[in-house]
Amino acid sequence: MTQPVLSVQDLTVEFVTRRGTLRALDKVSFDIARGEVLGVVGESGAGKSVTGSAIIGLIDPPGRIAGGEVVLSGERVDHLPPEQMRRVRGKRIGMIFQDPLTSLNPLYRVGEQLIETIQTHTDLNAADARKRAIALLDEVGIPAPDRRIDGYPHEFSGGMRQRVVIALALCAEPEFIIADEPTTALDVSVQAQIIALIKRLCKERGTSVMLVTHDMGVIAETADRVAVMYAGRVAEIGPVREVIKQPLHPYTQGLMGAIPSIEGDASRLVQIPGAMPRLSSIPKGCAFNPRCSKVFDRCRVDRPELIDVGGHQVACHLYDKAQAPAGKTEIAA
Amino acid sequence: MSEKAFVEVRDLKRVFDVSKPWLNRVLESAPKQYLKAVDGVSFDIRKGETFALVGESGSGKSTVARMVVGLLHPSGGTVSIDGVSMSDQAAAAERQRLRRRIQMIFQDPYASLNPRWRVGRIIAEPIRAFDIIQGDAAIEARVGELLSLVGLHPDDGKKFPHEFSGGQRQRIAIARALASNAEFIVCDEPTSALDVSVQAQILNLMRDLQEKFGLTYLFISHNLAVVRHMATRIGVMYLGRLVEVSDGKQLFAAPRHPYTRMLLDAVPDLAMIGKAREGVKGEIPNPINPPSGCTFHPRCPLVFDRCRVENPPVIDGVACHAVNEGRAAA
Repeated sequence: MTQPVLSVQDLTVEFVTRRGTLRALDKVSFDIARGEVLGVVGESGAGKSVTGSAIIGLIDPPGRIAGGEVVLSGERVDHLPPEQMRRVRGKRIGMIFQDPLTSLNPLYRVGEQLIETIQTHTDLNAADARKRAIALLDEVGIPAPDRRIDGYPHEFSGGMRQRVVIALALCAEPEFIIADEPTTALDVSVQAQIIALIKRLCKERGTSVMLVTHDMGVIAETADRVAVMYAGRVAEIGPVREVIKQPLHPYTQGLMGAIPSIEGDASRLVQIPGAMPRLSSIPKGCAFNPRCSKVFDRCRVDRPELIDVGGHQVACHLYDKAQAPAGKTEIAA
Repeated sequence: MSEKAFVEVRDLKRVFDVSKPWLNRVLESAPKQYLKAVDGVSFDIRKGETFALVGESGSGKSTVARMVVGLLHPSGGTVSIDGVSMSDQAAAAERQRLRRRIQMIFQDPYASLNPRWRVGRIIAEPIRAFDIIQGDAAIEARVGELLSLVGLHPDDGKKFPHEFSGGQRQRIAIARALASNAEFIVCDEPTSALDVSVQAQILNLMRDLQEKFGLTYLFISHNLAVVRHMATRIGVMYLGRLVEVSDGKQLFAAPRHPYTRMLLDAVPDLAMIGKAREGVKGEIPNPINPPSGCTFHPRCPLVFDRCRVENPPVIDGVACHAVNEGRAAA
């Protein structure tokens, strides 16, 4: 197997507070191959965005990376000094945030922001950088880029602004892009355009993308593989088709049933009782055990590790053949 | 229509003045500017059904909702609920009695509950305001009953809103809406701020309560999948106009207006794994200067000369020249 663009091993992030240490990420591990889109889904508080921030080294105190490693194309980046990390960020890792209005500076023309970023990361002179910026705007589908480059962010609509942000992320031709809820602030018709754009860029440039979202529909259309997160842990990870069609983890099963679909019958939605636990009171053993309908003794004691089950990995004791109570292993079928 | 409509909305209009301040207008000799947020919307809601309004941001769905409950005065047109006009001066006394039967659930459960009040007092407010039950002990018992109805514990009435999660707060908002024995509830994006697993709980709860009490809902949402799950009938809005009204199932099986088709095509869905889709053209235009004729014409694949000039009327549930002339064979 070729080397993954990004490899995260046992990443743990903790926030030290007066009331004790909160563990926002607990031994999260995954790989992203070249040109692959990994979707990261979960409900609020699952640790999706923290994962993104930890990878680019933007965890602010009192938060800290308490363990594990982040390896970008064979080079470990989680322990780099801030100045070196700053160069990796932007040059090798691009970032797209949820709200395009806050990721652009309202006082500078769009072109100035693009050119500044290009010149920071490459040796191009001002004229070439401007040409480059126009080419980028054209590539992300902004009409009349040679005129629009001199516009201010407020002159662009929400969808167009998000395209500018994507152009900004592409400036230094990064090998890896983190897109944190890139379409959440947009209307459906515009969302479809942005999804198509991200997919096309990924294909053409061979860039890997980590797509963080709570919208399973967006993942289904965009991602190659998906990681389902729950309470700071990866519950299940595997190819999109398998995770959606045959979810193994009881949480993923509940989540899939809870999503209303525009196809299928309008019957009752599956309900998972309760809500995600607070970070200060994550239950012992499997974090999902108080809400799980298939809970058994071991779940309340042992934390399940990711195990291979036919093509994808799941962190659930039900699938550990040696340990699970008899007859419970085939529940997913 | 065989049954008499419970809610009748006729040619509802709302115009907002978005002009610059007076001094700027004088100095720049700029004209006054108006935004037609809602432009001639008519629909009926039958008793016991869920009528949903869908549309993208800026389409005027929330403005319609606020006019229906009377939080905004319409610039034109009428709303009547159970035969009582919401704007006619003559019906003022009757309207007062009607108020009790109408409630609203808002999008953001963090903003719609008073943070300084205990939950019990929040839920009891409509009971006291309409003087439905007398005596503190009786009111407290009723509040407890309402709390258990929405899946909370009667003792939760002693807590403050900040002690609850988003989904639980929305349950409190629902309990408050039911407190005055409301029959008609306007829900403005009730689950948009919630996570999917919690959204499922709230949607199921709303359906259970509808069955139990025969509630009528006006359900506003931008999420087509949620609307599909909840609605009996659906109205699709675009730039302040209703472009299509249709039976829930039919709208998804056979959308007729080109905008509805585009919208349905654009929704990311679990069933769409790895499938390619048709690209969506353009964005919603600025509502201050909407396009002439049919406001959808610059983005419409079926556009022809008449669309650019003439605003299509709603005929048989669809406002589209192409559909009416039979040029939109699917």
